[in-house]
This record gives sequence, C-alpha cells and structure tokens, in this order.
Amino acid sequence: MTSDETLMLEFQGGSRAAFEELFARYRKPLYGFFVRRLNNPERAEDLTQEAFLAVIRAASRWEPRALVRTYLCGIALNLLAAERRRLSTSSTLGQSAPEPKTEGAPERVLWVRQAMEKLDAPDREILMLREFEQLSYSDIAELLRIPVNTVRSRLFRSRLALKSYLRASAGQPHPGRRGMQ
Amino acid sequence: MSTNLHPIEQEELMAYLDGELPADQAIAALSHLELCPECQTLASDFRGVSQELMAWEVESPEVGIPSKINAALGERLQKGEAAKVSSPRLKNRVMTSRWVWAGALAIVCVAVGLKLTLTSRNRNEDRSTAYPSMASIEQYLMPDRNAEIAMARSAAPEAISSDAKILVLGWRGYETAIEGKNGFVCMVERSWMSPFNSTEFWNPKVRGPLCFNPAAARSILPLTIKRTEMVLAGLSKAQMIDSIKAGFDNKKLPPPEPGAMCYMMSRAGYLNDAVGHYAPHLMFYFPLTDKASWGADLPDSPVTLNPQFQGGPEPITEFVITVGKWSDGTEAPVM
Repeated sequence: MTSDETLMLEFQGGSRAAFEELFARYRKPLYGFFVRRLNNPERAEDLTQEAFLAVIRAASRWEPRALVRTYLCGIALNLLAAERRRLSTSSTLGQSAPEPKTEGAPERVLWVRQAMEKLDAPDREILMLREFEQLSYSDIAELLRIPVNTVRSRLFRSRLALKSYLRASAGQPHPGRRGMQ
Repeated sequence: MSTNLHPIEQEELMAYLDGELPADQAIAALSHLELCPECQTLASDFRGVSQELMAWEVESPEVGIPSKINAALGERLQKGEAAKVSSPRLKNRVMTSRWVWAGALAIVCVAVGLKLTLTSRNRNEDRSTAYPSMASIEQYLMPDRNAEIAMARSAAPEAISSDAKILVLGWRGYETAIEGKNGFVCMVERSWMSPFNSTEFWNPKVRGPLCFNPAAARSILPLTIKRTEMVLAGLSKAQMIDSIKAGFDNKKLPPPEPGAMCYMMSRAGYLNDAVGHYAPHLMFYFPLTDKASWGADLPDSPVTLNPQFQGGPEPITEFVITVGKWSDGTEAPVM
C-alpha cells in the first residue's frame, strides 16, 4: 500500500489521484475527530471539508518530516480551536450555543461520552488523540507543545480516571450496560 | 505497585501496551507481564478502557468528494500545470548558455570523483538515511536470550508458538534455542529483511517477531538465514543481491511452497520507525504474482502488497492481511 507520505508528495507533484486516495483514507477519521469533540454532525462535516481545503491550499508547504496523519491532526486542532472560539463568542453575545446532538446515539456511546466529559479538558484531548487518532506520544507532544513525559503522565491519569468513571456508571442502572454487568 | 516488586512502573506498562517503549524495555515489560498477575490486571484495565472507547464509533459521512473541495482541487492542479508549462522555457534558456554547460561539466567531474572516493571507502554507506551503514553487531543482538525467545513466541497465538521451533540471533547467525514439534518456526527478524532500498535497512532498533508455518519454514526461512549470514559476513548490498539472484538461478534457494505463510501478531515488535510495532497481521508468500489477482491495494480491500521482496531480488510476492487481535487475544487498534 502506498504510504500517506508518498501520496502527499505525489499530490504536491500534481496528482489528483493521490489527493483522492488521501481523501478516501482520512475523510472518516477527520469527521470522527470533529464529531466526537463537537457533538454536532453538520459542523463536523463542514470542518472536515475545511481541513481538506487547508490541505489543498498548503500542500506545497508540507514537508515529509511530519507524518500526514499528524499533519492533518494539527490542521484539525487549529480548526477546532477556531470553532470553539467562535462558539464562545456567540455565547458571549447572547446567542445560545447549539445543544449537543444526542438523539439516535446508542446508549453505550452516550455512557462513554458522559464519562469522557468528566475528565479535565487537556487530559481528555490527550486521551482522544491517542485512542481515536492513534497518535504516538511524541506526535501528541509536538501538536500540543508539551513534553512527552507530560503526555504520558496525563494519559495515565486520564485512563485511570476514565476507568473509575466507567465503573461508577456501571454500578448504576443503565440499559446500555446490560451485557457487561 | 512497588518498584521493589515490579521492575517496571505502571506508566511504563501503559507505554508498553501503547507500543511506546524501545525494544529492549518492551521485552523486559513483556517478560514481567507474563509472570505478574497484578500487572496483568492493570494491563487488562487499560485494554478495557480502550475497548470501551471503541464503542464510540461515528457514522460514515457521505461518500464522494464535495464540490467545494473538487473546485479547489481543480484550481490548484491547474496552477501546478501552468507552472510546469513555464519551466521548460526557463530550462531551455539556461541550457543554451555555454558558461552553464561548462559549469555543469565541472560539477559532474567533481561529483563523480567524490562518488568514487566514497564508494571505495564504504560500499554500504547511504548518506540519505539515518542508518547509512551497518551498526555494530551488538546493536542487532538481544542480550537476554530468554527475552528473544519470548518475543519470538509472541508472534503467534500460544496454541501455535508453544510447540514451535525457536531461533535466536547469535554472533554467527540464527541458532536453534528450542526444538519444536509442530513444524512452525518462530524468530525475530532484523532490519536487513527490509527491501534493499529501504532507508531503514540498517536500523538496529528493528525487531520483527514472526512465526513461519511449515511450508514457509522450508521455503522462506532459508532467505532469512541467507541474508543474515551475508550481513554478518560483511557483504555489500550489491554482493548480497547478486548472491541471492544466483541462489535462485542455481536452485539453491527454493521458490515459495504452496501455502507458505507466517504470523506477525506480536505487540512487542518494532518493524520500523515509520510504523512502530504496526498492527497484527498475517503474510502469505507466492512466486511473483500480479497483486490484482488478490485484489491487493484496491479500495477497502483488506489485502495489501508488501514490498519486502517483489523481485528485489527475491522472486516472491508477499500479501499482508491485518487482523483484529494481537497474539494474546486482545483487541488491536483499527489501522
């Protein structure tokens, strides 16, 4: 299988097919990145498209020292920060931020999401980058501009905390946990 | 957990499960984990958390490239074409200058001279990579023989590897550490089993645990043995390639037997700097075969072509299929 980095180089050289392959590989992961953090499928889809537009615009500046996966996560984190600023400004100006969309989500997903929301935001971000985006400790450290040891210790802390939150929730009646009790 | 009782910290155990420990520490962690019920519980907790998170799947968005992206893509590619069209004119202007010709000739002469000097100094050196030449042999050896045995066994589920023959790398090549009963052979490959043009051909960190089935043990393992012997004998890449070609020509090296395959399901391996310990997978070997016959590398196909051999110089095609679990039965992350 052609590596992401080779595809990116081919795209820099003018290959439409290379971009289409990258798009096919990363559309769902990027959409997942946004939808898990914003709980808003429509905005997640918009931001996914924004991320690919950013790739198109900045393709010539990409250098193969960074994995494409990490590079895309960097773009996604920037877009996410801008989106959160926008939401925060909207709230300040009196517009209510949209409610997270929960209808249709399986009970088990809601249960996991609620447990995740109890984590401190920086710890949650590290955990998500590791578990869902599958980034290495050093990639996370580079993206968040923190030391690798900090990534490791926060990841450790958040996993233990999440375990205890999930266990606590498991003790409460919950239809989504029937099979696991 | 006290460090007096446990040679690894809890955080290190987590890092091991994430594939974030260097090979030597990963082996120590694996060896300890196999014997320590307390750490097994903790590892199970960490895996449990990861598995719970996997429940949080998202629905696939619509397929196809949205029009907004298509338009931007078309614009960018058009600009690229325009740049390409303009460059030959520039090149023509430059190449018509006799001074440029003279300068280019001088550069070529210097470059050829430099290349000859470097080539005669170290025939294996490749300055385009972090691993330009072979490191000292010690760096490829594993100091703890038991750790290498454990790592080799971890390539396949216990039901297979527990009765397999185990090979470990010594100063003179691979040697039998444990005789087997089921015809399988487990071992830890080193970086020189990469393609000859790989930038990590000499990466001393590489540890590739695998278990050959009997057909592969008879027909693929001899290649590993041969390459290793040549590396330890100090042959250049060119010499190794010539020797392998000759080996196939004079039938001293066998073609892949029907049904030859191997397991690579260890979470303790380190396949290269780009993928770390990668995902658990199976590999299937054939005489040179069109990848289309397996649907390899097609969209959504789980089969990929591994460029490990592919005629360079071994006339072998190798297909890879990733699987969902590590050899210990635990879930692997989706790649």
